[in-house]
Amino acid sequence: MSFESFRQLVQDWATAGYLPEALAYGFVVNALLAGLMIGPVLGGLGTLVVVKRFAFFSEAVGHAALTGVAIGILLGEPYTGPYGSLFGYCLLFGILLNFLRNRTGLSPDTLIGVFLSVSLALGASLLLMLAGKINVHILENVLFGSVLTVSAHDLLVLAIVAVLVLALALPLYNRIMLASFNPQLAAVRGVAVKTLDYLFVVLVTLVTVASVKVIGAILVGALLVIPAAAARLVSQSLKGFFFVSVIIATLSTLLGILLPIVFDLPVPSGAAIILVAGVCFALAALARALVPRLQGNPA
Amino acid sequence: MTAAANLTSACGPRIEFDGIDLTLGRTRILENVRFSVAPGSVHAIVGPNGGGKSSLIKTLLGQMPHQGQLTLHWPGEREVIGYVPQALEFDRGLPMTVDDFMAAMCQRRPAFLGLSRRVRPAIDAALARVGMLDKRKRRMGALSGGERQRVLLAQGLIPEPQLLVLDEPMSALDEAGIQVFEQLLHGWRQAGTTVLWIEHDLEAVLRLADRVTGLSRQVLFDAPPAQALTPERLLGLFSVHPRSESLA
Repeated sequence: MSFESFRQLVQDWATAGYLPEALAYGFVVNALLAGLMIGPVLGGLGTLVVVKRFAFFSEAVGHAALTGVAIGILLGEPYTGPYGSLFGYCLLFGILLNFLRNRTGLSPDTLIGVFLSVSLALGASLLLMLAGKINVHILENVLFGSVLTVSAHDLLVLAIVAVLVLALALPLYNRIMLASFNPQLAAVRGVAVKTLDYLFVVLVTLVTVASVKVIGAILVGALLVIPAAAARLVSQSLKGFFFVSVIIATLSTLLGILLPIVFDLPVPSGAAIILVAGVCFALAALARALVPRLQGNPA
Repeated sequence: MTAAANLTSACGPRIEFDGIDLTLGRTRILENVRFSVAPGSVHAIVGPNGGGKSSLIKTLLGQMPHQGQLTLHWPGEREVIGYVPQALEFDRGLPMTVDDFMAAMCQRRPAFLGLSRRVRPAIDAALARVGMLDKRKRRMGALSGGERQRVLLAQGLIPEPQLLVLDEPMSALDEAGIQVFEQLLHGWRQAGTTVLWIEHDLEAVLRLADRVTGLSRQVLFDAPPAQALTPERLLGLFSVHPRSESLA
């Protein structure tokens, strides 16, 4: 069954009343399929982002996507999906940042702050230069995400990135974690610490860029951090940490896409997704405060 | 049992540091370090902070560009090095149990999927040897410093090493933990494992090591502990700041 016929089948079932009414629209099916890929991948990778304390980095890469889009439009790429410039610029941003991380003597957050500011300044300048050429709603979509613009091509890019990230991150999960605990011990155990650091940066960048269409450049990094942070609050083992993070990320993405459509709210999908994730975080914090067992074992 | 008695049954390597020099920036960390570690022996390294002990370990583990010759003579084809660091850098609130940590160390299967059937017996045995079997479901961050040190010792047992490098393993151990460590040391000696052991507790070195090297940028002494750990030599080792001399 081709993708088009699958989508038509879902739409037909929704029209016939077997599925929720919102699924009668093709763009909703596309957005939900994107969400089903984004949620588990961002939620799972997010646990490593939290373990490695890469939260600020993932935020910065998301923001760099804004500049990537501007460069793409400037270079004549289609403004609905300037993936060449998006991937190219964000990968360059992430790899250069990682390269300089241990060479400047600056703490990682300071260096990321410098990169983030300069990149945003460049992106803002380029976008304003292009303001005459593009519709202002495109900028809004880039910043905060839009379910209306997710095409079959975007889904294909997302699927390829999701498979690639899962195929690399799952077998290397322990090693990526171990490298952050003690690089020397990791090296003795045969972990190529520096190579894995670069690989992790590349994986975070790829999945961030591929999710920009739905969540938006401003908020995409947050979905790598908030579900994992919420899961960390209520979990007692890595198993709970990983799977609760995946569930929260997936639930947030799907609800964030569906709720504004169902309730006819003029809220961008990215904002709605992060608001749902934020509610999950608040509930997790509350649960931790109220349930002593969640606060960890006594020493 | 002495190192010499172990020579015939040793499965660990002989290590030869031959004129090792290490300079970081404008500071000379190691200068013409020359000594050897007998196969199957427990060899301690003592010295002041900043004396180059950890740098020597990093050099041995291939993580420091150095000058001079460092040779490991392995007795067979199997070449397994175990390493027990002094501490781990991790978020104490991370929901990672002892089992999770051991899984992350010892198996390829993602630790969040639990222990793999293949490594579980080895992890059970290692945790039992360090007396942590009953605390395997505890979070790493909720353990005491001594308990965490025992878990670090346990990971050093898998896979069974022929050369074990210990970086101040007794620093956080309580009395029961010290007994566990001494039993492990006895086991490694029986198995002919070469143990290179950085230690601050000179009484423990005197009691447990076959040989001790005093390192303060240079080798100040290298002898059996009973001969080496005399008041005069220790005064010489700890009275001069090792980094007082930097490159012109």
